[in-house]
Amino acid sequence: MRVEVSGLTKSFGTVRAVSDLGFTVEPGSVTGFLGPNGAGKTTTLRMVLGLITPDAGSATFDGVPYAALPDPVGTVGAVLETAFHPARSGRDHLRVYCRAAGLPVSRADEVLTAVGLATAGRRRAGGYSLGMRQRLALATALLGDPPVLVLDEPANGLDPEGILWLRGFLRHLAHEEGRTVLVSSHLLSEMEQTADRVVIVGAGRLVRQGSITELRSGAQGAGTVLARTPDADRLAAVLGDAGMSADRGTDGLVTVTGATPAEVGARAFHAGVELHELRAETTGLEDLYFRLTAGQEQFAATSPTPEGAAR
Amino acid sequence: MTGLVRAEWTKLLTTRVWIGLVLGACVMVGGFAALFTGLAGAEPDGGQPGLPAVGTPQYEEVVFSVAANASVLLLILGIIGTTQEYRHRTATPTFLTTPRRGRVVAAKLVAYALAAVPIALLVLAVDVVVVLLFAGARGAAPSLDADNLQTLGAAGLVLVVFAVIGVGVGALLRNQVGAIVGALVYLYVVEPIVSSIGVLQPAYKWLPGGAVQAVTSDFQAPDLLEPWQGALLLLGYGLLTAFLGTVLAVRRDVV
Repeated sequence: MRVEVSGLTKSFGTVRAVSDLGFTVEPGSVTGFLGPNGAGKTTTLRMVLGLITPDAGSATFDGVPYAALPDPVGTVGAVLETAFHPARSGRDHLRVYCRAAGLPVSRADEVLTAVGLATAGRRRAGGYSLGMRQRLALATALLGDPPVLVLDEPANGLDPEGILWLRGFLRHLAHEEGRTVLVSSHLLSEMEQTADRVVIVGAGRLVRQGSITELRSGAQGAGTVLARTPDADRLAAVLGDAGMSADRGTDGLVTVTGATPAEVGARAFHAGVELHELRAETTGLEDLYFRLTAGQEQFAATSPTPEGAAR
Repeated sequence: MTGLVRAEWTKLLTTRVWIGLVLGACVMVGGFAALFTGLAGAEPDGGQPGLPAVGTPQYEEVVFSVAANASVLLLILGIIGTTQEYRHRTATPTFLTTPRRGRVVAAKLVAYALAAVPIALLVLAVDVVVVLLFAGARGAAPSLDADNLQTLGAAGLVLVVFAVIGVGVGALLRNQVGAIVGALVYLYVVEPIVSSIGVLQPAYKWLPGGAVQAVTSDFQAPDLLEPWQGALLLLGYGLLTAFLGTVLAVRRDVV
């Protein structure tokens, strides 16, 4: 099932939280929804799930908005904030939503086991650690065995072991079971290890979307390549003849843009230029994300990266 | 809809709020029944009329309609039933499970009306047992004749309808403390003042307090509605607040 978001816009008072945001989430992959705090991620996810009414735009699941889904629990599972009645046990919490969704209450025990909470299910949710709350929220999302999962910062409060478990769990749900997984985070490193694709937002606008590898190496799959050679002049000339833009740095360093390491290596090999180092400049994504976060969120940045926002 | 109603019952029974409120209602009603029985027939004091003596129909009406005083606790039960969704932020999973939010409010109305029936029966039973034992010890246990059963039935009806009103008030106000404080201030400050001002007297019979009196009073007071009219009016208040709550408050963004 495919999630399509288009033209989503929402203001709270005079603050424009989300502005004409559109992206798609494909099945069988984990899509990271990445942006600094205050970029409008939570507002967007809540609009996608029908909890917040957008001022404009739409979000659909195979063409159907959330509120019109015939079986919402069996279609979309959502992990938003960890919201439980503190006096109710985790198991009872799940049983409430089993009943509301018309599922057998035995489903509660099944999902508790699936998220590793089987032994804590009968304890009051108010006594759960942050990590256990996240697992209970995930269990709630899994009740209806939905083809789509939407998770808002699910790694918050998890210990490193829990994060590792979550990462494997989400990738399994997407890659092995073919579900559509949309997961938000403000941590690029976390997304790089979990997501196949990312949608980057800043100040409520789309900055970039694409696969991690694509974004890492630049939009066209060809980014910046660093080569180190004792014969920098010759390498620069050879690459220049091949239509690449090569800049000479100090210490035999040549920075090539608009090429992949394989292309640079092949040119150097044919020309017989000795190479001491050849690597892709992988900081493209970090750079992009850093510029985004350095602008400090929605207050400073109306359009943090114009070339990205235009895409 | 059955599933949604059962979900509400599961919510209600898996926290302990209801136990405290039901115990409170029983203690309150049992206590007042015992107090009124103990003071029944006492001499008038300082111009205040005394309570009617044990064995008179007036006494029996007073001690059997005392059960209706627990309505404030049923009201609070209903208020908590709706507002806890916002207080503990479970409105998020609730509205994710049931995106058509009006259905959630409707399910709560039905669930709390039905749940209030056994609670009301329990409260009435406590009232009857205390009165029969204590008044019996004082020499004249009332019989459960048609008049007294009608009084008890009216009190039970008030209890059930107040749970429904609570759900409606909670849906409208959403803030738990605000809704409870607001309801108490209304019942114990605003209404007594309105009912004590002569000019406003004609309006009083249309207010919830006047409707309660209409339901629970045996005697035909000229400035009150008929009992059945009072019951309908009370139910109308519950449904009206629930409807307004659904339209004005429950549909708002859950952020």
